[in-house]
Amino acid sequence: MGNSNDADLDFIAQAMPAFISEAAEQIEAIETLLLELEEQPENRELLDSLFRCAHTVKGSAGIFGLNRVVEFTHHVETLLDKMRDGDIALNPQISTLLLQCNDQIKFLVDTAADESADTAEQKDTRADLVVRLRSLTEGEVVVPAETAVVAGKSDSGDGGLKVWTISARFGPDTFRNGMDPLSIARYLATIGSVKSIRCGTDSVPPLMNLNPESCYLSFFMELETATNREEIEGAFSFVIDDCELDVVAPETPDQKMARAIEEIPETPRLGDMLVQVGAVSQDKLAQVLSTQQHTPGMPSVAKAKIGDLLESQAGVAPEVVAAALGKQQKIRESSPSEERYIRVQADRLDAVINLLGELVIAGAGATLLARETRQGGLVEANLHMNSLIEEIRNGTLGLRMVPVGETFSRFRRVVRDTASSLGKEVNFEIVGGDAELDKSMVEKIADPLMHLVRNSLDHGLEPPQERTAAGKPPAGRLVLSARHETGAILIRIEDDGRGINRERVLQRAWNRGLIEQGVVPSDDTINMMIFEPGFSTAEQVTNLSGRGVGMDVVRRNIEALRGTIRLNSNPGKGLQVDIRLPLTLAIIDGFLVGVGKSKFVLPLESVVEVIESGGQSLRVDSTGRHCVELRGQVLPVVRLRTLYSVESNLPNRVSVVVVNSPKGKYGIEVEVLLGQNQTVIKPLGRLFKTLRGISGSSILGSGEVALILDVNTLAELVTDSEPSQAVS
Amino acid sequence: MSEPFALPAELNIYSALETRDALLAWVAEQTTKSKDSLEISAKNVAEVDGAGLQLLAALTNMDQSWRLVDVSDAFSDACQTMGVTQWLDKRALKSVAGV
Repeated sequence: MGNSNDADLDFIAQAMPAFISEAAEQIEAIETLLLELEEQPENRELLDSLFRCAHTVKGSAGIFGLNRVVEFTHHVETLLDKMRDGDIALNPQISTLLLQCNDQIKFLVDTAADESADTAEQKDTRADLVVRLRSLTEGEVVVPAETAVVAGKSDSGDGGLKVWTISARFGPDTFRNGMDPLSIARYLATIGSVKSIRCGTDSVPPLMNLNPESCYLSFFMELETATNREEIEGAFSFVIDDCELDVVAPETPDQKMARAIEEIPETPRLGDMLVQVGAVSQDKLAQVLSTQQHTPGMPSVAKAKIGDLLESQAGVAPEVVAAALGKQQKIRESSPSEERYIRVQADRLDAVINLLGELVIAGAGATLLARETRQGGLVEANLHMNSLIEEIRNGTLGLRMVPVGETFSRFRRVVRDTASSLGKEVNFEIVGGDAELDKSMVEKIADPLMHLVRNSLDHGLEPPQERTAAGKPPAGRLVLSARHETGAILIRIEDDGRGINRERVLQRAWNRGLIEQGVVPSDDTINMMIFEPGFSTAEQVTNLSGRGVGMDVVRRNIEALRGTIRLNSNPGKGLQVDIRLPLTLAIIDGFLVGVGKSKFVLPLESVVEVIESGGQSLRVDSTGRHCVELRGQVLPVVRLRTLYSVESNLPNRVSVVVVNSPKGKYGIEVEVLLGQNQTVIKPLGRLFKTLRGISGSSILGSGEVALILDVNTLAELVTDSEPSQAVS
Repeated sequence: MSEPFALPAELNIYSALETRDALLAWVAEQTTKSKDSLEISAKNVAEVDGAGLQLLAALTNMDQSWRLVDVSDAFSDACQTMGVTQWLDKRALKSVAGV
């Protein structure tokens, strides 16, 4: 006995992290749903999903004995239930209350293991929320139940009190899973009035053969309630996997038959289906089928019309045929495409991806050796293997991709709360939330984005009066968008606020000694000043004191992801912050080039074309910059040999790789072209962090190290108007 | 007539195994002594769940006649919720339920 209790505790301790992460998902979903519901208060589906989420949290918290969560969530659930019944309509106050409650649930779940975190202050907050919830729910109780029912009836036609018959046969593991038919019966009694209940005990073995921890019970209940099937079935949601449940609504015989068809597990043939539920006899079916086959000249397509024949010849109600056809369709559709998820630990996936990186390198090595042997068969086998590796690589990296929209929608709440606390009106739009990004990247980008969004709200957007005075609509506009761009994702935060006040930024930069007094750099440079460490402390132009992250940290975080950040400020009109991030941190398709003995890799997506150019004959400046003519246009070119002081004998003819960058096209002058190469990115050591234009390194199949060029930062080097300082 | 079998205060899954063994031993002992109907007391039952009720259903399925002599409110309540009122004394049913 004591042992089994310990085992239970063990089990609970093990399952707890899974519970917490699942509950966190539910809580996040609740928040999203609430915000969506605010916009579409009539949307019944949203409300239903909202209730389900809350119910799931409560139910699973119950399994783990988290009574605080259960108690509190119960009150929330009661309110949601009232809302589903149409007794209470959602208004902004209720919505805010529910959001606060959700925060409280989150707090309770997060601190589930730690009673001491539940301070008196939190208890007060919670008690206060409960009082407010109860005043809402109980205030409405005085409304006679009949009115609610009548309203329900006139609305949807199925909301009235009805007697449902519920028969449930519980699976043997019900008790072991911590479930109890008795408590389900008790719960059902709370959502309606039990007209009759009978417990089925016939299959319980005699006491000497009984395994008391297995469940053999079943019950048959008649429940009078105004709720719907979903809710009744919801009572069984935790046992549904091994429980035979049959919930029958009071209905017309035809409806009953239609539903019986729904419940036939797998019966793809229309006729059989109808026979099974007794809509048509077997004989009659055979007769109809033979008519169908013997109709002369009937094209094969028309044979599908057996439903019509059954309707006209066998007198089957159209409703029944429709249900059977619907079921057929559903079977066809649902079986292959059913969405299923497997929860995988992130570090296991990372381990696979790491191994895959090694596999890519090993594959490249093998290819190299195979080429050296000059055996056609071996080379071909290798090529085949490499193409498979590439497919696996793409597939595996795809596993890590998640839509950024999930992160974006989290901001709705922040925007809503921040704007209301600042007394501003904001229309928040999310565009392109389905663009996909590496999961780890999504996690790391969330904080910097949050900071930028808050920054826009706090400093960008003006209060309504000021906006009206400036001839803008009183409600500000904040757009968060994401889209794919050559090998990268572009996340843009755009507002129509006041933009950056360049004079003030410049003044501060002078005061802080970030630039020499009196020197006026380009607008771009001034804008980027706000990302300097000196600007991130309190009471500055971009004051967001107390948030913990400064703008310099934002930039650092983004650059740590090999991303770039760019500001496009239009004083008085708005600010646009562009964040470009590589799609993944692990592997890219590279274009391998050589300068002297050194090898460099360019991201293949950015390569446009390769042209030839004179080598020695062209003069370059100290950082290796010069220009060539490309189809009548001037193309800035950087000579890697000079830029990174690579030792080599400059050949007469060199190649210029033309690449695309956000700053436009430019050329990179190299000496040898070595072709396409799958590149596993390895970070550069700390020593090389300051090296501009290089984003990482990679190990080639031959064991050589190649440096990966960062096309975007290199573009800055190339197009900088002032000659830059030495880079290496 | 000997003492009725007293069901434990916690008539639930946690004690189901123990209660089954105790009940089984008691039944075996009683049947050697007399042919009378067995008497079971649910006076002390404070907590009961489906697994607890199932034990009594299993006893019924032994073809052993038995009856309840005393029931707690919690027990009577559970029997009615679960629809196993046939075990309850009709009088007890009225007094508790009032439905």
